[in-house]
Amino acid sequence: MTPIFDDDARATIATAMDAQVPGAAALGSVEYVEQLLTALDHDPPHLWAAPGDWAGEGPAWLELGPWERQAWTQRLGDVRAVYQRVIEGEATPADERIVHAHACEATYGDPAYGGNRHGGGWQRIGFPEPLFPPTRAPQ
Amino acid sequence: MTDCDVVIVGSGPGGATTAEVLTRAGWSVVILEKGRNHLLDLTPPFASRRHFANDEVAATRRHLLGPDPLLEPRTYRRDETDGERILVGEVNNLPSTVGGGGVHADAKLPRFREEDFHLRSTRGPMPGAAVEDWPVQYDDLEAHYAAVEISFGVAGEAGTNPFAAPRRNDFPMPPGPDMPMAVVSAAAAQRAGFHPYRAPSGVNSVPYDGRRACMDCGFCGGYGCPIEAKGDPVAALRRALITGRCELRPEAFVTDVLRRADGRRATGVRYLDLTGYPTPPVREVHAREAVVLACGAFETPRLLLRTGLGGDLVGRFLTNHFQTFTVGIFPEPTGGERGRSVTHLHDDLMIDTPALRAAAQSAGLPWLRGGVVEHGSGPGPIDEASTYSAGADHLEAMTNSALRRRIWAFTMQGEDLPQAHNRLDLDPSVRDAWGFPAGRVTYAPHAHERAASAYAAPLHEAIMRDAGAQAAFSATSPPQGDLTLQATLGPLGIAPSSRHVMGTARMGTDPATSVVSPEQRLWEVDNVLVCDSSVFVTSAGYNPTLTLAALAHRAATLLSGGKS
Repeated sequence: MTPIFDDDARATIATAMDAQVPGAAALGSVEYVEQLLTALDHDPPHLWAAPGDWAGEGPAWLELGPWERQAWTQRLGDVRAVYQRVIEGEATPADERIVHAHACEATYGDPAYGGNRHGGGWQRIGFPEPLFPPTRAPQ
Repeated sequence: MTDCDVVIVGSGPGGATTAEVLTRAGWSVVILEKGRNHLLDLTPPFASRRHFANDEVAATRRHLLGPDPLLEPRTYRRDETDGERILVGEVNNLPSTVGGGGVHADAKLPRFREEDFHLRSTRGPMPGAAVEDWPVQYDDLEAHYAAVEISFGVAGEAGTNPFAAPRRNDFPMPPGPDMPMAVVSAAAAQRAGFHPYRAPSGVNSVPYDGRRACMDCGFCGGYGCPIEAKGDPVAALRRALITGRCELRPEAFVTDVLRRADGRRATGVRYLDLTGYPTPPVREVHAREAVVLACGAFETPRLLLRTGLGGDLVGRFLTNHFQTFTVGIFPEPTGGERGRSVTHLHDDLMIDTPALRAAAQSAGLPWLRGGVVEHGSGPGPIDEASTYSAGADHLEAMTNSALRRRIWAFTMQGEDLPQAHNRLDLDPSVRDAWGFPAGRVTYAPHAHERAASAYAAPLHEAIMRDAGAQAAFSATSPPQGDLTLQATLGPLGIAPSSRHVMGTARMGTDPATSVVSPEQRLWEVDNVLVCDSSVFVTSAGYNPTLTLAALAHRAATLLSGGKS
């Protein structure tokens, strides 16, 4: 995936993520945020990973309906603004709660979403590999 | 010119059951579902769409099952002193998707007990609450319970719950494997004098109805089933579709009920076709016989209020189940990462006993009922991580994992007494993406619910400690007390979160005190039926799905001319 933030901005976001969940950046939390913010650049959008190989042939990502796309356009615009404030050192407490939520999702969510690199987040807490995982791109 | 015999609004367990009964009787139906279709193909053989995975991000964070609160906000206040609202967003949301609430549930499907249908007669009135007998009794529903258990596929064990209502048939399937920690907590509950039993579950313990047996993947409550082992959302719907007399239209948001000029008879519905954007086309479905509303106890009254149907009582007597969670933290992992979330229940606090009578008396109440108690596992890792504070201690908290790996929980689905001021109405200014008023919940528990919770919590904490917990504590949903920032940000939020929503179009024999008749027909337009938990007169203390489906089965049987 192509980074959307420059190196300095990525480093700032990584620091903010690690302040919430130590080790989050090493597990791919910045990539998680970048994948989220660019999700609608793809068709289908990279928002809901489709079931993996166990389900047979199928798309890697699920389609959104037009209204869902509208909601996510609005939501991702708001998220983009949050990270802009993080980069500029102007994050509010509400922004930090969103960064916290994303750090948790990036660390302990499925690797399909760009974080939890090689399942490292799960390994460090002993969470078992799911029986029916979604499709995952090579990391 | 008509399109079908009956148009059904909503594809959850009520709508799907109605469709199955009517199509089996030879009637044609069109089902309109406002949510997206992630469940099954709409052409033969109606195979699984395979959209569901073990994916906490999609299911719990990204609104895969809908509704998206940016499109369909709900609002909440505890009472009128809160002003117009204190929350905009998610309020006790059930999925908005083909299959409805059945998709996300871990499918505990107990029947109500006989007493639950005539509480007013057996226990007497409760000051400040509108406790009434149902116009339908358990005996009226028994055959319908049995039929729905077969349709959905319920696994269970007859004869092991001493308080269960009588049943003519055994469960269609034996119970699935016990969760190991449930065996431990059930033994402790038994030592405390309770009578735990294996939960009736709409989860296949063996291959059933062409669907696979559950593999105990651990992603059950809150998730769509990847292998269709949960029958509730899909079984009845697929059978209706297979007849060729059922058409299902997803992304169809019903805005109005069409009526004859004199207003006394419904002729169909008008809806927005949400596949169109940004201006969804307005379409109509015309039905020869009836309109069935099965949108759930939040959306059904919202539609009725919007269309001016049903009378002054629409939306009132909203009940949610007042949940009391007793959490035990154990020294070793409890194994909740695999299994079906809940495999054991106990009902003892639903039963009239000297101890409960004494507790009622000390609370200044005539009687007290708790609710069914689920023995269950904890959250997924993202939900757990979100509970802990940020910073250096976060990793240690996750590694110790008190709230996931080492947790075990009792959830009491506390009977929530109907009160006229607890209601669903239309928010005066918040609107959905299509310009319609959002539904607003006004809800605060009765003293009964708080007293029952206060009685149950220490008992369950003692059982947890006897089961080996190092620590035990209790909390409720909705939380009580001041609205602190911590309460506002807590994992359960400040609004009810039981996902059990009932009672907003209650049934009765008197049009002055009810919205629908015993046949679940609107008094004023009697070919509009309500086939969901809106019609509940009281909430009982049991998961509502099987009862709402049994009621839908009965109402559809009567509608199509069958015997009740």
